[in-house]
Amino acid sequence: MNWFKKGSKTEEDSLLKVIEQFKKSGDFIDFQNPQSPTHYWISYFGSLVDAEIIHRDILPYLNKSSFKKIEDLKAALPIENIVVTSDLGQIQQMMLTGSVLIRLNIADKQGLLVRAEMNKAREVTIPEEEFSVVGPKESFVESLTTNLNLIRKRLPIPELEIKEFKIGNLSKTRVAVVYISGIANEENINTALQRVGDIQFHQILDSSYIAQMIQDNDNSPFPQLIDTERPDRAAGVLAEGSIVILVDGSPHALIGPTTLVKFFSALEDYFVNWQLASVLRILRLIAVTFSILVTPIYVAILNYHYELIPKDLMATLVSSRSLIPLPPFFEALILELTIELLREAGARLPTKVGQTIGIVGGIVIGTASVEAGLTSNVLLIIVALAALASFTTPVYKMSNTIRMIRFPFLVMAELWGLVGIAIAFIFLMGHLLRLTSFGRPYLEPIYPPRIEDLKDAFVRLPFKMQPKRPVELQSPETIKFSEKAAKQKKDIDE
Amino acid sequence: MKVAVKEQFLISPYLAFFIVHSMQTGVGVMGFQRYVAIYTEQDSWIPVLIGGAAVHLVIWMMYKMLNKEQGDILSIHETAFGKWFGGFLTLLFIMYLMAMGITVLRTFIEVLQVWMFPLLKTWTFTLVYLIAAYYIIAGGFRSVVGVCFLGVVVPFYLILTFLAPLEFANIRNLLPVFDHSMKEFALSFKSMTLSYLGFETLLVFYPFFKKPETSQKWFHYGNLFTVFLYLYLMIITLIYYTPDHLKRTIWATIAMWKIIRFPFVERFEYIGLATWTIAILPNVCLAFWAASRMTKRTFNINQKKSLIFILMIAFIVSPLFKDRTEIDLLNSIVSQFGLYFNFGYIPFLFFIHYIMSKVRRKV
Repeated sequence: MNWFKKGSKTEEDSLLKVIEQFKKSGDFIDFQNPQSPTHYWISYFGSLVDAEIIHRDILPYLNKSSFKKIEDLKAALPIENIVVTSDLGQIQQMMLTGSVLIRLNIADKQGLLVRAEMNKAREVTIPEEEFSVVGPKESFVESLTTNLNLIRKRLPIPELEIKEFKIGNLSKTRVAVVYISGIANEENINTALQRVGDIQFHQILDSSYIAQMIQDNDNSPFPQLIDTERPDRAAGVLAEGSIVILVDGSPHALIGPTTLVKFFSALEDYFVNWQLASVLRILRLIAVTFSILVTPIYVAILNYHYELIPKDLMATLVSSRSLIPLPPFFEALILELTIELLREAGARLPTKVGQTIGIVGGIVIGTASVEAGLTSNVLLIIVALAALASFTTPVYKMSNTIRMIRFPFLVMAELWGLVGIAIAFIFLMGHLLRLTSFGRPYLEPIYPPRIEDLKDAFVRLPFKMQPKRPVELQSPETIKFSEKAAKQKKDIDE
Repeated sequence: MKVAVKEQFLISPYLAFFIVHSMQTGVGVMGFQRYVAIYTEQDSWIPVLIGGAAVHLVIWMMYKMLNKEQGDILSIHETAFGKWFGGFLTLLFIMYLMAMGITVLRTFIEVLQVWMFPLLKTWTFTLVYLIAAYYIIAGGFRSVVGVCFLGVVVPFYLILTFLAPLEFANIRNLLPVFDHSMKEFALSFKSMTLSYLGFETLLVFYPFFKKPETSQKWFHYGNLFTVFLYLYLMIITLIYYTPDHLKRTIWATIAMWKIIRFPFVERFEYIGLATWTIAILPNVCLAFWAASRMTKRTFNINQKKSLIFILMIAFIVSPLFKDRTEIDLLNSIVSQFGLYFNFGYIPFLFFIHYIMSKVRRKV
């Protein structure tokens, strides 16, 4: 098998041998047209080529007149980017990506390559994971060209640069690193280009492959690059100085460098007015904290610190727990795992069945387990709320992480109560402090504290108050727009 | 002798504020009031101010030396005493730093044992805490400073909780003012300065600032903030407790939390102590970081190795202190050493260094 070698390197290979190898596949088409004025051989993969292009743009012109030289043929065809070459590697590569090879004689070393690949891509549809009520309703699809079009449409400037790579020695996936030169930091660009260029793998099926291969810390449960399906988000962060990575065949773009707080900002925050956006963001952060901490706190308090609960509230807790045979830790663990189970089952099943599972799980199992005396209804409420709260994160991968990091907290709460939760928090804090994204601190703007970036972190202040690009991205062009022009002072009644 | 640190490891000067404040407020905050009030009772807020002023003076001296050297304590010692004796004195300083880390951790565990878990094994908690400390210190000075920052910011809400005791406060407890002798003030000043210790780690991390000279301002602000915090706590303590009650209360700050009551939370000290687990982390991390850093500088060994070695010692030593008297002894030995180091040795060093740097320049 010589998959891994480049075709041009094997000297003894001739064009005929390449064709011979292709002919082993059933979808390879290779025929001579005897009726036309010129004799020619045409060969292509039927599964890769758009038949309409062949019949409309190639065959009629070939049959029209006679050609002596292959260059004449090139001039006659109404298609751009026609290549005349004898480089076997190039011929092989281009034919495998949907080009048509035309030769005048069967034994010719030179051939004419015409691009005629089939573009069977999904239509641009409404975003599902990052749906927003207001704002654009386009989302990325599996075709890189379409995705690039969606971005370029939003940024019609010459500075938008796209560097393409072919990655995967089997899949030869096209990967595009997109940035705005002059706005994105030089160092960040180099980091991204170098890391993408260094990838050694046989197959890239999705952008998450790339994300896992270029992230700073492989052993972290936290995603270090945001993945988005919204072209407007991609264009938005490009304008701030981030770098976007697109992968052919993946409807998700990767954004880096990024910070922890950005995972909790939805694009919709920029479409509604700033007061509402700020309230929603704070709500989301509270929800996440609540989601991680509430079950551990329940376990900690019932195990060790029941003095902490006032008498009246204690009565409610005691009466709900009086018949439960399990200690709080196992009670919580079982219920948490049940919820995870439901979520996982719901995610694996088709949508309609998933809904049924939700009803069965949520209502039947929940109520039944309380009635059977396996869990207390207070805990049921807490766990259900925590599950609900974890869904508020706008980035799906982050909500998975939040689901996961609850369990170490739970174990520590069982060990040392509230102090155990504090210890787990210390480990989390230490981990986040050490984490970087493309070499930039992950916990920014909390640490290192940067007042300027706090304007668009836990809250979102009005656009007028944010004339500068985020410090995090170290953009060479720090000013977004002129503050003076935006802030014209007006007096009363003028 | 200039100590060069690579650019990507440098931190902004204003972070000095958080470093010094987080380092000064460790376990001392939980019970410093009694040690001062034994001597000066209702006048105890005065030593807080005087102590703070004295610390400002020492910080100023440190910066004078460091600005001249552009280095750390080892370079100062080498200028002042030459290579061998300077190295020996640095070794003493390293041992002091280690003892500081161990004291903070062991005293905090004692607090936990007294207030929350009487049967908590010292070694298990020490082990887990030191693993966390190792993980953070291994991230370098930047993550240690990050812990200092978050160790100030996260527990900050606790300041508000001390307003609750005011409901039962009696402002007349502060009267009469200036009702003690100079000797009593001197003694209480001495015990108060112990609560300010920790800022001497500056002698290690000075070269890590971008434009280190500019950090002095922030360092003073940080100390000033500590002074305000202590003053705030001291005044509330003095008007909340009667003098006799205070003399019998070892952990006055924690005991004040007992009065707080929400519709859903009683016995606030549990929450307070859990939060304080995070607040003492900067003390432990920075002390052990500084110790390992100085070991690296003095003996030229890998900092990771020296850190593991130091943490191992801490892990072995910490459970050796078993009861209140032993821990109290440890505390008083370490703080006595700190007292003489900061307020005796540093001015002495300042003087010697001044002369020696003049002499060496001439040679």
